[in-house]
Amino acid sequence: MVSKNVTVRNKEGLHMRPAGLVTKEMTKFHSTVHFIYGDKKINAKSVMNLIAGGIKCGSEITIECDGDDEQEALNRAADMIENELQE
Amino acid sequence: MEELKGIAGSDGYGYGKAVIISNELPVYEDKKITDIEGEKNRLKEAFDEFLKKTEAMVEKMKDSVGEDNTAILEGHIMMMQDPYMQEEIMNRIDTGICAESAVKEACDTFIQMFSQTEDELIKQRATDVADIQLRLLKLLTGTPDINISEVPKGTVIVAEDLTPSMTAGIVKENVSGIVTEVGGRTSHSAILSRALEIPAVLSIKDITKKVKNGMTIAVDGSSGVAVIDADEETVKKYDEKRNDYIKEKEALKKYTGKKTVTGDGHTVELYGNIGKPEDAKKVLECDGEGIGLFRTEFLFMDSDSLPDEEKQFQAYKAVAEAMGGREVIIRTLDIGGDKDIPYMNLEREDNPFLGYRAVRYCLGHEDIYYVQLRAILRASAYGKIKIMVPLVTCVDEIRQVKKLVEKIKQELDSISIKYDNSIETGVMIETPSASEIADILAREADFFSIGTNDLTQYTMAVDRGNGNVAYLYSVYQPSVIRSLKRIITAANDAGIKVGMCGEAAADILLTPLLISFGLNEYSVSPVSILRTRKNISCWTKAETDKVAEQVLKMDTAEEIEKYLKEQVK
Repeated sequence: MVSKNVTVRNKEGLHMRPAGLVTKEMTKFHSTVHFIYGDKKINAKSVMNLIAGGIKCGSEITIECDGDDEQEALNRAADMIENELQE
Repeated sequence: MEELKGIAGSDGYGYGKAVIISNELPVYEDKKITDIEGEKNRLKEAFDEFLKKTEAMVEKMKDSVGEDNTAILEGHIMMMQDPYMQEEIMNRIDTGICAESAVKEACDTFIQMFSQTEDELIKQRATDVADIQLRLLKLLTGTPDINISEVPKGTVIVAEDLTPSMTAGIVKENVSGIVTEVGGRTSHSAILSRALEIPAVLSIKDITKKVKNGMTIAVDGSSGVAVIDADEETVKKYDEKRNDYIKEKEALKKYTGKKTVTGDGHTVELYGNIGKPEDAKKVLECDGEGIGLFRTEFLFMDSDSLPDEEKQFQAYKAVAEAMGGREVIIRTLDIGGDKDIPYMNLEREDNPFLGYRAVRYCLGHEDIYYVQLRAILRASAYGKIKIMVPLVTCVDEIRQVKKLVEKIKQELDSISIKYDNSIETGVMIETPSASEIADILAREADFFSIGTNDLTQYTMAVDRGNGNVAYLYSVYQPSVIRSLKRIITAANDAGIKVGMCGEAAADILLTPLLISFGLNEYSVSPVSILRTRKNISCWTKAETDKVAEQVLKMDTAEEIEKYLKEQVK
């Protein structure tokens, strides 16, 4: 398993649209992808899970990936959150 | 016939026959399943059908209301495509319950989970899941979707709430009005109604029970009133209002996105007045160039205790950011007089309008004022904010406020909190005293804003609420007109900006006088913005000077009002 800490910077946090974009990308990987946010472990392949997680702008989360393509999945997730989703 | 008050959700007037749209879940038999695979296939088909239909709706909406408004339905697609969501429903069938029960249970779990959070955005998602649940159950039970797209011309839609999927089907030409039981100005129903330009009144309690299908309903979406079981006379009245509204709207359209200029090319500023942060959006929608009056009392009234600095800061910052660098003039706390706030324990006074109110109260309670000014200063880092002090009567008051502002600035400097160092502090001119010493105040204040309601009341020494003397309350009184001229001239002479944020700024009769006197900024209620821009464009300076010259020679309010009415263009 690999993991990395990142800060969510897009204004509305990980709500509907950004959550949808994240899950769409993450389902492309075989590995499991989870976001650890406070005491919540959120399945990043589920938009419902992400919405319920309510990750707010400015919060730090840990991305955890586990599986045969875990490093690629981790890099992609971190890149999306730190760079692509910023509006 | 009954007149019911709700929230004004979308401007305009309409009338027609009621069609009640029910959000009730279809009835189904909660049966035990033995053919698990067959039931799962039935569910899978419903998922696919749901996605196909929703995608079609999104396409249709792109044409009717534009791509900006399809996000919610696209969200429904994302939710339905979510493998976790599908599994949550699907796995329940393994326990032997039918597809309908599985949908009901799983969606209820999500609805409960979302609505129990504190986060507003997550809470709103509960509505989306409820919409998905309703539509899936309809697909499974074969209940026909109430087809809003097929309602006849002249329909007033009555519903508990409009779900995103319902609004997608609305044919603008056939729906004359919308009335709902829940929802506010920022709800999905309100936003969509405005995008479709259908008058809407929201939040009328029990409306779906009070109305019967086919009943005649008149809708006034501008002031938030619905008349149920309307008689012929009311319908006629609404028809006239509707025609006038449409005609005016058409005529005003060409002023959208334009500068506010007089007939001879002199530019002035045209701002909007607001009482809540969310109204900033309305000002922008109505094409306002800034906010000339942001009343801050709401923060104190919608609360059980004094709002702290952070809460105030967030409210001021939200408006500054929403306006994106356009000016926002924040009026500091204006309580006392007729505005009471229970927890502040204001003393009962024999003459509240002549008593301990506005800046007088604030300077007497520096701890409360300090918190507000500090919140405003911090918010000034996020846009273009100005501070406006109400009810000033002597120069010492504005000096004291400025001193307090300076003190807070130094504090913020010492802890490296950013703010706009060039923030202006201005005076609201609304007392005869301030008018008389306008030249003195102009040396201390960075700008003036004239509050015509109080200025008229105090100049005429008349209590507006007292029917015996109300006839004296008129902005056309020679004393009030002269006062306006003196205030504007003093500001012009001192080289500071002067605005007006009372009702009079939008008064078509006064427009020529205000142009002639040299008013720089007009701040009106958002709905009056375009009309005021048009009124200003009708006059050249030379024409207004002639009108002003005549008016200043006249003896009575009646004479002045009659003359100004004749001059209207």
